[in-house]
Amino acid sequence: MSECVVRNPRLAWREVDGEMIIISPDGQVHELNETATLVWKHAAGDKGFEEIADEMAAEYDVTLEEARADLAELLVALEHKQLLLVGSSRKG
Amino acid sequence: MPQTPVMDRWIRETVNRHLPWSVHVDLTYRCNERCIHCYLDHEDHGEMSTAEIKNVLSQLAESGTLFLTFSGGEIFLRQDIFELIEFARDLHFDVSLKTNALLIDAERARRLRDLAVRKIQVSIYSADPEVHDAITKVRGSLARTLAAIRFLQAQGLLVKIACPLMKQNLTAYRNVQALAQELGVPYVMDLTITPKMDGDMSLLQLRNSAAELLPVLQDPVLNPHSCSRDAAPSAALPTGSAVSSGIESSAYEDIPCSAGHNSCYISPYGDVYPCVQMPLATGNVRQQPFLEIWNHSPEMSRVRAVRESQLPVCSTCSIRQYCERCPGLAQMEGGDLLGAYERACEMAELKARMAGIAEPISALHLQKLPQPDFCALQSQADPASSSRPIASVRG
Repeated sequence: MSECVVRNPRLAWREVDGEMIIISPDGQVHELNETATLVWKHAAGDKGFEEIADEMAAEYDVTLEEARADLAELLVALEHKQLLLVGSSRKG
Repeated sequence: MPQTPVMDRWIRETVNRHLPWSVHVDLTYRCNERCIHCYLDHEDHGEMSTAEIKNVLSQLAESGTLFLTFSGGEIFLRQDIFELIEFARDLHFDVSLKTNALLIDAERARRLRDLAVRKIQVSIYSADPEVHDAITKVRGSLARTLAAIRFLQAQGLLVKIACPLMKQNLTAYRNVQALAQELGVPYVMDLTITPKMDGDMSLLQLRNSAAELLPVLQDPVLNPHSCSRDAAPSAALPTGSAVSSGIESSAYEDIPCSAGHNSCYISPYGDVYPCVQMPLATGNVRQQPFLEIWNHSPEMSRVRAVRESQLPVCSTCSIRQYCERCPGLAQMEGGDLLGAYERACEMAELKARMAGIAEPISALHLQKLPQPDFCALQSQADPASSSRPIASVRG
């Protein structure tokens, strides 16, 4: 399996009518756009980079290369905000 | 506590759509302290079981609840407290706790940290153990609570001190503030002493009068801006309610508060109220699904229909902007969800006076003033008026 992508287990979150809101341990509030929400839902720890890129390609009808590029960019941003952990095997 | 634009939008959305965004669950009314101002009956009249609470939490998660507060009573008296917190975190709630912390040791603090509890509110009544322990009626309680706060801080957990002020600790606010600064934790000074949930009003005698509170609210140590007539009253004052979230939002402009709009309270026996300070029975989760109560209870609808601009007395009040009227206390103390009540009016007048308004008077107090005899006044001004036929006045 490719590099594991998992939600930060210290976060609180809720999806309301397709919109995702996340609360950080320091109380910061984050909203995810549609693409980030899709990645978030698949980041339960049982899928890696490649599997999630496959899901994105299928969902948005783009090539796998385009999906990989978008996902890589997204993961950098979400990891920077400590919302996702990449390379960890912990369940979120 | 002003919100970020993102949070404010979510508050507005959840208020408009009546989503139960924030829920306060009292897990028990049992307690290992006997605080003199406590509004609860500490006997166990049949608390919900672990399975029942888990079922409620699952329903809340499905209903869209994000913010969950576990309170009591003393929550650590429940043997299943960590099981419930873990279950709540597995459902991705933002979990806050309210506790006296007496039962928190280093190991329990570590477990709370591992479960990513976000905030823990602890009541401190004074930095003087004589005063604090006299209020809790447990000797040594201040020392144990402070030790627990340090265990929690050592784990990097966010602790907030709440200091309810009553006659017994009126002057303690300064030493509690200093203690909070020394510990590096936020604190809130709560001026609210409420009736007991069974309607017993005897606790209200513990309240400080508005006159007694004036020097506290004007103390420059608490409010550096209070000397300026231009400053908004209480602008920087760390006062608030220890039971409410303290969240401010433009979404609450014409509704009294979040109660019943995007928040509610559930008792250890499964009763659902709009708020812990508004004991209007709307239903019981042991008998009905939560969402059925939330969406269809007539009492919940009645609370939701209240608009500040339509309150019969308060909407006419000239010092409304200084008032922190609580609809639950209006019900409990004045017997009318829509009514004005004495304490809110006194406090509004106090704050208006602090803001430089000469002789402020609330609409309720204005109504109670002796009314002038308009007929007699008119007769004095116009001796012929009393004999003038009404038809001629109109004509």
